[in-house]
Amino acid sequence: MKTILAYRNNLDNKKITSEELFNEAVSKAKKYQDKFNSFVTIQDTFEHTDSNSILNGIPYALKDNFSTSGILTTGSSNILKDYVPVYDATVYRKLKEAGAVLVGKTVLDELAMGGTGTTGHTGIVRNPWDETRQIGGSSAGSAAAVALGIVPFSIGSDTGDSVRKPACFGGLVGFKPTYGRISRYGLFPFASSLDHVGVFTRCVKDAAIVTDILKGQDEKDMTSLPDENIKYADMLDNDIKGKKLFYIREVASLEYYKDVDSETKEVLTKFHETIDKCRQMGFTVDEVSIDENILKAIYPTYMTISCAEATSNNSNLTGIIFGPRGEGNNINDIMFDARTKGFSELIKRRFIQGSYALFKENQERLFKNAQRVRRLIVDKINELYKEYDAMILPTSGSIAPKFDSEIDRMSERYLILENHMVIGNFGGFPSITIPSGLVNNMPIGINITGPQFKDAKTLNIANKIEEELGFRGLIKEEYDV
Amino acid sequence: MDTKVTKEDLKKYAGLLMFDMKEEEYDTLLKEFEITEKHAELIRNIKDIDKVEPMTFPYVIYHASLREDISKPCLTTEEVLKNTKDKKADQVKVPKVVGE
Repeated sequence: MKTILAYRNNLDNKKITSEELFNEAVSKAKKYQDKFNSFVTIQDTFEHTDSNSILNGIPYALKDNFSTSGILTTGSSNILKDYVPVYDATVYRKLKEAGAVLVGKTVLDELAMGGTGTTGHTGIVRNPWDETRQIGGSSAGSAAAVALGIVPFSIGSDTGDSVRKPACFGGLVGFKPTYGRISRYGLFPFASSLDHVGVFTRCVKDAAIVTDILKGQDEKDMTSLPDENIKYADMLDNDIKGKKLFYIREVASLEYYKDVDSETKEVLTKFHETIDKCRQMGFTVDEVSIDENILKAIYPTYMTISCAEATSNNSNLTGIIFGPRGEGNNINDIMFDARTKGFSELIKRRFIQGSYALFKENQERLFKNAQRVRRLIVDKINELYKEYDAMILPTSGSIAPKFDSEIDRMSERYLILENHMVIGNFGGFPSITIPSGLVNNMPIGINITGPQFKDAKTLNIANKIEEELGFRGLIKEEYDV
Repeated sequence: MDTKVTKEDLKKYAGLLMFDMKEEEYDTLLKEFEITEKHAELIRNIKDIDKVEPMTFPYVIYHASLREDISKPCLTTEEVLKNTKDKKADQVKVPKVVGE
């Protein structure tokens, strides 16, 4: 299994050099690029700073909304199609200092505002498990790069589930720590109160290893948390007997979802089999009920808050100082032209929704009401965490959708079952997806979300469950080379 | 309060954000606005929603502190100009802004 520790072992025993690892990764990246389209940019030069870190010499991929000085960073948007940053994101700087080797910048949904991996300006990302299916988004390319076995880990960002959902669809571990745990300096902001840095790996231990390197207070990110001086990777095997988990009836109960298709039924049935295994391991697992009107409000609340924050965050994209320069006789016309041509139609619709919610006459009934729902949900979950150690839910009610399938956004199934992971963003809770089985030969996953600041406990619980379920290192056979 | 927006309203809103869209996109957006209003209604009907304090941030931070005001170099002029298409000397070039 190609984990970080396996790579480390081979490097330390001189079975391979870091340059050879890089060349192998680049060769694979190029081999799969036409079919799966993971990358915006594949590095052509091996760049490595030697270090004592566990990540020294390990290749990885980075989502193309993280600033990398001297390397194209597009946000998968035409408005930044030729933008080369002059500074490094803290995450990129830390990985460089740790000796990790960048293989390439990965495709995302434009400006991270999407969940299908189909809206990036260089084309759609296909799922390595089945090329007729999406891998989800927005961190689509980062997920695909690990699912294809190109790199053992990649970095993404998660604002509404953009690491944790594609991880599920790609058969991977996707971890988003507590809000502020990893500095967002240099990550293009989508919705600043919801954005998180996240990682894709093949196992929980690797997610802990990478997070240990990335976490820490950063003077350049005033929302970053003080250092804890603990290593998550050292705490993964703590005993979990007696720990208490809960799942939400309105998200995962088979009685609640009576009239659903056979695929959803199978996913939920397998989820309950996982719950049974957790009980056999020594966990107490309870079903808890939350007012379904609040749960149905999660998606609208997320859309309102994220679109409003995104409109503001992207108002600096005018083509004047960077980005394609528009045409016109005066400065307003030039900016108008750049933004008309540079943003996709989907993004423009989102911006208009966002700004509408912020109009003075709408703030109370749209924006502030959404913020009120946020508090209702977060308060409810915080209350549950007084008694429980973590929340466990199916990551999605389905396997990765086919490209031509349409999701009814107003259906109950979509509103609750496909959007519950936003709870992790509303409250900044540490949240991890791990693979939990296969349905129709496609991976499914479970999502474990812990209390704020309890990243170590959340990873510990996830690690033990991963061990029990037996899907650690899941990868489609043809990519396991 | 009449909250029904028209296509003309949407064109005005796009203009405020300094872009325009294709005609059919405004039709799509009009339908999306109908869904938004339904969602807003769903939220308004949550019991006692108006008594809840809006939440702007995931949790309360107690460790915030103010940095000292220390002057440091930031981006150089050369770095700032690297990504602009139109420049002259050490400045970003734009059409004349001030009137004749």
